[in-house]
Amino acid sequence: MSSPVKIWRNQKEVARLVGATGVIVSWTIVRVPPADYGDQAPYPVVLLSLGNGKRLTAQLVDWEPRHLKHGQRVVTVIRRVTQPNTDDVIPYGLKVKPLS
Amino acid sequence: MNIYVAGVATTKFGELWDVSPRMLAREAVTGALSDAGLSVGDVDALFVGNMLSGLLGRQEHLGAFFAEELGMKTPAFKVEGACASGGLALHNAINSILAGQYATVLVLGVEKMTDHKPEDVATALMGAGSDEERAAGATFPGLYALLARVHMEEYGTTEEEMASVAVKNHEHAHLNPNAQFQNLLTVEHVMRSSKITDPLKLLDCSPISDGASAIIVTGDKRPFGQTQGRQETGKNAIRIVASAVATDTLGLAQRKSLTELRATREAADRAYAQAGLGPDDIDVSEVHDCFTIAEIFALEDLGFFRKGSAAAQITRGSVSLGQSKRLVVNPSGGLKGCGHPVGATGVKQVVELTEQLRGTAGKRQVPRARVALAHNVGGSGATAVVHILKR
Amino acid sequence: MVGIVSYGTYIPNYRIRVADIARAWKKDPTEVTRSLGVEEKAAPAVDEDAVTIALEAALRCLQVSKGKPSDIDALFVGSESHPYAVNPTSTIVGELLGVGNDYLAVDLEFACKAATAGMQAIAGLLESRAISYGLTIGADTAQSKPHDVLEYTSAAAGAAYLMGRDALVARLVAYTSFSSDTPDFWRRDGIRYPSHAGRFTGEPAYFAHTAGAARRLFEKAGCQPDDIDYCVFHMPNGKFPREIARRLGFSGEKLAPSLTVTSLGNPYSASMLVGLAAVLDIAKPNARIFAVSYGSGAGSDAFLFETTAALPKVQNAQRKTKNSVQQQMEKKTYIDYVQYLKQTHKI
Repeated sequence: MSSPVKIWRNQKEVARLVGATGVIVSWTIVRVPPADYGDQAPYPVVLLSLGNGKRLTAQLVDWEPRHLKHGQRVVTVIRRVTQPNTDDVIPYGLKVKPLS
Repeated sequence: MNIYVAGVATTKFGELWDVSPRMLAREAVTGALSDAGLSVGDVDALFVGNMLSGLLGRQEHLGAFFAEELGMKTPAFKVEGACASGGLALHNAINSILAGQYATVLVLGVEKMTDHKPEDVATALMGAGSDEERAAGATFPGLYALLARVHMEEYGTTEEEMASVAVKNHEHAHLNPNAQFQNLLTVEHVMRSSKITDPLKLLDCSPISDGASAIIVTGDKRPFGQTQGRQETGKNAIRIVASAVATDTLGLAQRKSLTELRATREAADRAYAQAGLGPDDIDVSEVHDCFTIAEIFALEDLGFFRKGSAAAQITRGSVSLGQSKRLVVNPSGGLKGCGHPVGATGVKQVVELTEQLRGTAGKRQVPRARVALAHNVGGSGATAVVHILKR
Repeated sequence: MVGIVSYGTYIPNYRIRVADIARAWKKDPTEVTRSLGVEEKAAPAVDEDAVTIALEAALRCLQVSKGKPSDIDALFVGSESHPYAVNPTSTIVGELLGVGNDYLAVDLEFACKAATAGMQAIAGLLESRAISYGLTIGADTAQSKPHDVLEYTSAAAGAAYLMGRDALVARLVAYTSFSSDTPDFWRRDGIRYPSHAGRFTGEPAYFAHTAGAARRLFEKAGCQPDDIDYCVFHMPNGKFPREIARRLGFSGEKLAPSLTVTSLGNPYSASMLVGLAAVLDIAKPNARIFAVSYGSGAGSDAFLFETTAALPKVQNAQRKTKNSVQQQMEKKTYIDYVQYLKQTHKI
């Protein structure tokens, strides 16, 4: 997503969901990442339920193996989505971290 | 509906370094025309199923591209629906015949994936998912891994049971000279293969492949193929009796259910209704096993087995060639064993089933196959296409 | 009267022990730890930067006050690791906070005192009634060259201070600033790691400016260490703040609550501000806090605060949300040197 315009539009959407809590409904650990995500791998991707009937798919950060379970409480945070190339606008987006 | 399969052909699937997309198309189409006893001039339109030509090969406009390559001056279309592109191309071809627009239509499914680095292919395949899933760093196997985990927790499906899907499909592929893989696997092989995205391992995943398949469908009952003597009207013509498509949300997070692919169920329900048939009538099926877990979902969502019970059935040999009393699944080797050139798969499935119904499937022949079902899925279940064929 | 309405800090989850860095370079771990007076430091996750850290600190600051993002009239972010050379951190943070469009956004740079300079500027805007509320954030993912002495202490953290004219938890009684051209530590444009002038960073730099600002503030405010309950200084290591406190006449007890450096390291623009937050977390009402930052290049900003009866409520809110400095110091995951290099993008 290196179009600055797309990043700009997306960040407006993202601002609404910062600090939302949810629980993990499913998880996986991506060990063979797509291009651009190499520096972050391996990382968990989780499906979480936000409670109002809404669900979200997001990367789990600041994690330990014990957090990868159905029912783990998490909160949304803003992080760099990927490390951009030196010329690109930096994409910030939603990830989730465990609530102990 | 009265749609006849006039001719079929497929190329070998695999890492075909010295074969270009044009060469793949020519081989498949020449084969299908020859099988039908037709020439290019007999075809009224071309539908091309393909997903990645633009993202990877920088070539869009495939209708025109392949029409020119094949020497056709007819209407030509590219149809895209991620991994369901092939099935959707066939569906559209059938619709055009039913609408009375064209009489005889060529469907070409073609994909060239091995020219590019795996990371770039992985990124391109995520074009099948949602923006949110891409931003999360999910890969296509990652999405199915999320589904697998839910199925495992809900129904007790095990990694070993998932592995047995790969074992079965390699057993079948072993008998298919066009399959990408001919080697046999054991459950242990699969379990010991490297983790790609927990719980899916390398051997739970279909490969990156090149390949093309072609079908000629017609609404025309006139006899054709006299040189081959194989295609006749009447009781040995292979007919497509149902063609149904259903869609669901693009991303997993927005699905109503994570334990079924609702698009599969809806497309299947519609197809069965169109054909006036049910799951018990199906003798042979090609289903969309992009990952081992996907076959488990498919057999349940297509109504072959109760929800939560397919894994055990597959492990037991209930749908294996030579063991099954009732239904054989993925005699071609499926996506796992035969390979998965994305846009070609949906077409190859119908090629395989046509051979099965004709009785020309050689070592992988399912005895007395009379009714067949093809199941093709796009993305993590956002699109599903079901075709039913009868002898 | 202007002052602090609310504050929030963010310390990343990860820590690396100074001893483990020393061992990587075949140095004596005990000797290095002892000479620096630092045990471990906070390291950012691979996807954290000054923007994400500033945002976390700001969210926490707003969470414990009744402040709404739209109340903010000015948003200043001070950092040495702004993600862009040209493109403001303050507007990215402002947008993600939901501040709206009616505010002054400013990015500041002045080594480790960028954010405290922002506090003084905001104090001026408040005093002149140009604004009602101003938010200052100091946030850094401090970089250092591998094998350089700075590698043991350069850390990541953020601190946000909401300032206003009423409902204050701490009044800003007096402030001053002391500046000179002193090239003790610098980073050229486009160059990845900072350089420093070794021992020159001590007496003529840190000590001269910190003491300079402190003594001027004693005069201006008419106060001296005996009138003061707590002191906070910029903490490049464990030794400098102890030494300056001693020289200025502050006892060890008055300094101790602010010494986050031992377990946090030096998060540059957030250093003094996190130390100040640690004091605010435990101070009683009507306590006087003397805080002096230091930024290389060089300058020091000095502040005299007096806490109010409104502070305990905010302290409780910090503890309830588990975001007090102490609680964050205790919530940590250790990483090894290789993981540290990956997370700070060196490999």
